[in-house]
Amino acid sequence: MPKQDAGRADDNAGLAGFGRYAGPATLILSSLADGPKHGYALTKDVEEFAGIRLAPGTLYEALARLEAQGLIEAIESADRRRPYRLTAAGATALQAHLDAQRRVTDTGLRRLRVHWWTA
Amino acid sequence: MDRVTTARTPRDRAAGLLRWYPRVWRERYGEEFTELLIADIAERPASVLRTLDVARAGLLARLAAAGLAELHVEPLADPGRRLRGSLGTLGAALMLCLALGTALCSQLAIAWARTVPASVAVPARQASLVMSVALLAFAALVVLAVLPVGFAITRNFSRRLLAPLLVLAAAVTALVFGAHHFIYQWPGTGGHGGLLPGGVQAFAWSLTFWFSSAWAHWAWLAGFGGWELAWMVASPLALAAATAAAMTLVRRVEFSPRLLAYETRLAAVACAIMGVFLGGCGYWICTGRHPVSVADAYAGLLDVAATVCLALALAAAYQAQRTALRTLRLARR
Repeated sequence: MPKQDAGRADDNAGLAGFGRYAGPATLILSSLADGPKHGYALTKDVEEFAGIRLAPGTLYEALARLEAQGLIEAIESADRRRPYRLTAAGATALQAHLDAQRRVTDTGLRRLRVHWWTA
Repeated sequence: MDRVTTARTPRDRAAGLLRWYPRVWRERYGEEFTELLIADIAERPASVLRTLDVARAGLLARLAAAGLAELHVEPLADPGRRLRGSLGTLGAALMLCLALGTALCSQLAIAWARTVPASVAVPARQASLVMSVALLAFAALVVLAVLPVGFAITRNFSRRLLAPLLVLAAAVTALVFGAHHFIYQWPGTGGHGGLLPGGVQAFAWSLTFWFSSAWAHWAWLAGFGGWELAWMVASPLALAAATAAAMTLVRRVEFSPRLLAYETRLAAVACAIMGVFLGGCGYWICTGRHPVSVADAYAGLLDVAATVCLALALAAAYQAQRTALRTLRLARR
């Protein structure tokens, strides 16, 4: 199997079937990678590290989807703001997805260096 | 919307936004989502984009709850409930297809019975043949679908089913008696025989008496008797009540997985048959002018509008059937 095909297969294994939700899903999983957070804390964290503000509807669409796939889980809490945490399956999926993204990033940067900035 | 409601407290505004979502979603995420909205409103008091985003996501969740959108949007619903939701929507969409199909077929049955120029009669008769056969096959499927459901209802009867059962019985009784009463007015008597017995055609026409271009001709409408007008208004309402009651029943009864699978597969065949019906309809619309000699353009427009509605209902039924099928596959894993 060619190298790039292998990368794509890995990516599909990471966030399979997320389609247009893959972006918000990656941001949420990345945010939860350093510990549980509730909705508002997630929004602020993502805004801080990615410069993207997830709108409430979009955030909960992605949260519901991630929860249904078992990639995150809600933690019982006395607070009305229920926190979520990454599951083992979620960590594996995020790792696979980010690995695939890194391959794309590395390839793009390498090609830019070779064909654009060497002259 | 947000701008208009700035005088309300953030909690009131959050509660207003939450109404975009279906009950099942609110039960699961409502509390925490409200807290997020309150914090977001405090930070950005006026945001049209937030309102649009919540409205979009809420409507998508409603579609999912009705079995018309992707499964993951609906939170943690058990497969049986999801499946019953899809089948309820499917049943309503197919019921609409059946009502519009019957109305269109009735129009063509009148044309079949009358002597009209061959240029318009031939395509109308060819289309009528396809549509009548499809409608008969569809009616046979309805019987095959309803019988086991009726059996399951009698076996799992509970008080929750009483109200929708009574509404369904009352609506169906009203439809049958009303349609039977107005049979004598059927204009398709005389001339050619047609595909179906005259009594059946007349009953179908009387049942869909509301499907008339008279709504666009006030002078014509004014010539109708009081009881006829009442029937034209009451019959679609009775049909809607019967459909709503049937949907409620399907969503409230605990069906066995085997029966749910059977109904889902039957629905796939029903969608295919309705597709054939739609093909016949499209052929009629495209190749033949309206063959009924009422000499007005509105009848043609009415048929086109009904065909478009039928196509939309069929698309909804197909989507609900696909969702039901996916839920079945997921439940088996």
